[in-house]
Amino acid sequence: MDLSQYAELFLAESREHLSACNQLLLEWERTPANPAPVGGLFRAVHTVKGMAATMGYARVTDIAHRTENLLDLLRRGSRPATDELLQLLFRARDALETAVELSVVGREDELDVAEVVADLEGAAAHLAGPARSAPVAAPAVEPAAAPGGGRLVQVTLRAEAPLKGGRALLVLKRAQGLGAVQGVTPPQAAFESDDFDGRFSFRLDSSAAAAEIERVARGAGDVEHVSVGGEERRAAGPRAAAAAGAPPEATPEKGRHIRVDLRRLDELMDLIGELVTVRGRLNELAAARRDPAVDDVAIQISRLSADLQAGIIQARMTPVWQVFDRFPRLVRDLARELDKQVTFRVEGKEIELDRAILDELGDPLLHLLRNAVDHGIETPAERRRRGKQPEGEIVLAAVRERASVAISVSDDGRGIDRARILDRARREGLVDPHAEALSDDQLLRVLARPGFSTADAVTSVSGRGVGIDVAVTRIRALGGSIDIRSEVGKGTSFVLRLPVTLAIVRALIAGVGRERYALPLTYVAETVEFGVQPTTIVEGREAIVLHDRVVPLVHLRRMLGVSGDAPPRCPIIVLEMGERRSGIVVDGMLGQQEIVVKGFDPPQGTLPVFSGATIMGDGIPALILDAGGLV
Amino acid sequence: MSDAGVVRLLVFRVGNLVCAAEAERVREILPRLAPTRIPGAPPVVAGLVNVRGTLVTVVEGWRALRQPEPPGDAGPGTTVVLEVGRGKKVLGFTVDEVVDLLSVGGETLERRQALPGIDPTLVRAVGRRAGQLFVVLDTDALLTPILSS
Repeated sequence: MDLSQYAELFLAESREHLSACNQLLLEWERTPANPAPVGGLFRAVHTVKGMAATMGYARVTDIAHRTENLLDLLRRGSRPATDELLQLLFRARDALETAVELSVVGREDELDVAEVVADLEGAAAHLAGPARSAPVAAPAVEPAAAPGGGRLVQVTLRAEAPLKGGRALLVLKRAQGLGAVQGVTPPQAAFESDDFDGRFSFRLDSSAAAAEIERVARGAGDVEHVSVGGEERRAAGPRAAAAAGAPPEATPEKGRHIRVDLRRLDELMDLIGELVTVRGRLNELAAARRDPAVDDVAIQISRLSADLQAGIIQARMTPVWQVFDRFPRLVRDLARELDKQVTFRVEGKEIELDRAILDELGDPLLHLLRNAVDHGIETPAERRRRGKQPEGEIVLAAVRERASVAISVSDDGRGIDRARILDRARREGLVDPHAEALSDDQLLRVLARPGFSTADAVTSVSGRGVGIDVAVTRIRALGGSIDIRSEVGKGTSFVLRLPVTLAIVRALIAGVGRERYALPLTYVAETVEFGVQPTTIVEGREAIVLHDRVVPLVHLRRMLGVSGDAPPRCPIIVLEMGERRSGIVVDGMLGQQEIVVKGFDPPQGTLPVFSGATIMGDGIPALILDAGGLV
Repeated sequence: MSDAGVVRLLVFRVGNLVCAAEAERVREILPRLAPTRIPGAPPVVAGLVNVRGTLVTVVEGWRALRQPEPPGDAGPGTTVVLEVGRGKKVLGFTVDEVVDLLSVGGETLERRQALPGIDPTLVRAVGRRAGQLFVVLDTDALLTPILSS
């Protein structure tokens, strides 16, 4: 029977459970006497086992079964965690993860699990004690039915239903939401058989009304009959069945979620993008017509599409923990490997970002965290010598700022030795040979040069450059920026600033000559007038002084090679990215509007200051200026 | 439809040159659209146009083929949207006019040969239509170098 369509679902759900396992193991490691994490671990592994058995992934089922056995013994015995046990459980979890990933792509056979399986068995036998060291039973899919435990639910799927096994599985899963499911007959493993005719039963330990149980079961779809506790409820036909399964509003449940393929959200986003563009055109036409009836419709459509757009953007928002959650384990493993002691803290887990941005953040953060453990935090001995706690601290924090999100990776380690970096940078001609010091900004620029640092030259920060180069490139590509702050002996902190969403942003439309450019408001701090403000020269660059701070100017006309002269008085758009500021001199401001960000293939030679392009209300494209490239 | 050995070609004129592109590479034929300049791009790039919501970079045909600039009183011209590099990317290519859509037996096309006025590396073959020679362009060789990567 073909279960491939469930493979993706299996993968996604297993990953979630395995990610939870990591968190629980780390928690248990921190509080070894606390039995709570073990129960959670047991449930997570048990769920993975059940799903894997249904999918026919024998290796996953096997490892999960043995891990579950061990966890069960630990749970019953309320035993505290030992380092040895934790190491084994971490290994088992990792093996399970590998098994899951390989199984889904049909490469289960490549996996050698003998060692971890043997160790799990050994540990279980040891825990059970000589008297109870019964051989580990072959993986059972479900515990045997406890006779009479719970109400008997009998389900018959429609004869014409495709993928009856998967459907039956869905019914069981939904039923599990109401209470414990036991005594599945025939056993779940038989659901995969070609002979499975769509009739099955189970015992449900739940106090829910029979009608509720039936509704939940029918919600899986393709259900012909459901009988609960012998009382048969027959559907009169498809209409009645639909009606019976229909009214979810009548019995609201908390936190109802469905999984949506990201591609569908992307399609919706593209469509709403088109709609926003057409809306702009409609508004222009309506304004030209001066017909109140047309105006009315245009306003309504504007309002509706704005709501729709906000809704779709909201649907794409994902809390950062979905990416952050894998880091505690990573930091722990790395610290152990390097013989360092590190406390890792995560703050602002609930902050949300567009899924598309979040998906790109994993690697850059990984590099930064690795650097922090490897090169930032000192060994316990070194820390003691410097009068610090032997345990170093790394904090990963997300904070919402205006229209952007700032994510920082900070350590309280040794900091970057600027004198050495400066020395090296001078020798390689990366900075002015007479430069006396490196600002944070220059420091980042030097560090982010591909292959800048090599171990021999900058021992205290060896390898720093490797990951930073990757991180800076990736973040810039997302329309964001990176800042660094570092103090010798105190620590280093990287701050990533990212737009909340990529797809639709509010932008200033600036005019330069006869051309238009869009500048996302994300990093616009204010606008002032050029020709009124006195200008000065700082470090060879024209600048203005604003709120006691020097703001270097960029003449867009000159930079973009637009011929002709700028008007004597024109606006300066002040961009602010973290500590850095820049004033963009344009000819005029043409207004503010929502723009749909689209990519384009930049031809050779294109100035590296565009993050994409958008289509204006008149249907003509305008390029979007990338604040990161201008500041 | 496509018999073995039969090639469908879109024949068009750029300056004094009659050229052709394989029809299966042609996504669509549009009137010339006002392009948005891309600062920094070479002059052969006319700019960016909006093809029903998709942004397409347009290459100025007469510059790419080193033909004289069309006179001011010439018609608005046409943009042929072409797939470049195994269909991964799409580029617009401006031509003075589209002349014909031909089905040509492979044997009637002569292998690449030198023709005056055109870089031989851009010529895939030479054909003949109504007594006139035309050049089947290697559109990938012509257009890929214009895209940066």
